[in-house]
Amino acid sequence: MKLNNIKYLFFAIILLVTSVGCSDDDDTQMMQDDDVMAMVTCDDGIMNGDETGIDCGGSCEACEVMSMDPDFSGTYSQVDYMGRPGINTVLSSSDVKDMHNQSIPSTMGAILQPGFETQLEAYHDAYAIALGLTADDVDFQPNILGDILNGPDNDGFTENPVNATVLTTVLATDVLEVAPNLPTTYFNPGAGAPNYDGAVGLTGRTLQDDIIDVSLILLFGGGDGTRFNGEGGLPLLVSDGVGLTADNITTTFPYIGAPE
Amino acid sequence: MKKTTKYALGIGTLIVASLVFVAADHIDAPATMGTTADIADYFAFEPTEGSDNTAFIVDLQSNVLPDLAYGTFDEDVLTEINIDTDGDLIENLVIQAIARDGRMYFFGPVAPSSTGLTSQVAIESPMGDVEISGSTAIVETMANGVSLFAGPRQDPFFFDFFRFNEVVSPSMDDNSGFDNPGIDTFDGANTMSIAVEVPNSLLGETTATNVLGLPVYKTWVTTNRKQ
Repeated sequence: MKLNNIKYLFFAIILLVTSVGCSDDDDTQMMQDDDVMAMVTCDDGIMNGDETGIDCGGSCEACEVMSMDPDFSGTYSQVDYMGRPGINTVLSSSDVKDMHNQSIPSTMGAILQPGFETQLEAYHDAYAIALGLTADDVDFQPNILGDILNGPDNDGFTENPVNATVLTTVLATDVLEVAPNLPTTYFNPGAGAPNYDGAVGLTGRTLQDDIIDVSLILLFGGGDGTRFNGEGGLPLLVSDGVGLTADNITTTFPYIGAPE
Repeated sequence: MKKTTKYALGIGTLIVASLVFVAADHIDAPATMGTTADIADYFAFEPTEGSDNTAFIVDLQSNVLPDLAYGTFDEDVLTEINIDTDGDLIENLVIQAIARDGRMYFFGPVAPSSTGLTSQVAIESPMGDVEISGSTAIVETMANGVSLFAGPRQDPFFFDFFRFNEVVSPSMDDNSGFDNPGIDTFDGANTMSIAVEVPNSLLGETTATNVLGLPVYKTWVTTNRKQ
């Protein structure tokens, strides 16, 4: 189409648009459709002409930048951290807890281990004093993991014993391990000392696991898991005496039960 | 016993006496205690025996004690499940969740744009989104086998927390340890849960192992506040 013809047609359209009552500032466009020039306006409620949205873009006013997605922009900084349940709680003193929460696992072990070991020994010292003994009299004893890892014949001391340093070194790298395609058990000592037949664990954490008792056994249970069992004048430190009370855990997603 | 700990007996007792907390991670450290970003609990498990999926549940906030933040997901808090698949303790994959206008949006599993203490939302890797539930669970199941949930739930964690706080500070008059039976402090407490179940094929193989030599994902969860 020649330029002059377009000019004339443009004026004709302006007249037509005005005559059908559109406001003066309505933009207009032309669209060639099967050699018939159709009139296109920026307020006809459809996306046509060179519009990039409905009545906007191209020769119409710019489209508003509208996204169907919410805004997720920005940088987010870590404020809380959790791996194994209860570890930060039980073995970090309150001034260390904040540091723990602003740590990353590749470096936290070296940072946290000394404090964890001190705390573990401090618990034993506190009970020594409360029982009328001296702090020297009660120490952490290598726990049942040594037998489970090394077999029942080890004496708990010479064959890779899980002593306070070993235990707190493991715990200070605070990650929850979950095994794909294996049944999940936080820890189960099986038949118990001395052979621990059927002992399984470290494959994740279910909603039902008694993680407090497991932690207490590893911290206070000694070589057979029953040290400090509340008998013979010793305190009960290997169990808090409670079990699962939630009765609404389901076998289908999301598994965790409805709120009270 | 180490000499330092013998010497530090007084200090050790102070440390014990100064503990104020609720486990598993409930209430937590001074800086996050009672905030909307407080991680109360974290679970990761094979949902049913023989399943090819892994389920992750992150519990934020708690109403176990009065005056704690509870009941609303904070849109400025990004929850991130970190997954190490090669044993170097650096996340190879993240799954992210963040609330917007009554829905929880999930992203990943994807290699994060940056590892460590800061994060951006992986907007190029959307996983799906789900309406935040009331007391009845609303679940979205995606075509690729991912399931998503967010909303209030009953905290299944059990612990005689009040007795524990006494147990860690024994005296000549109270040196018997825990009670048996004890009292579950968390009985009936609620939490704000985020649950995601993922086919293991989306997480891939892992070369990390636990101390028993079994292949494991090494995982941890963080909350991250918008700067």
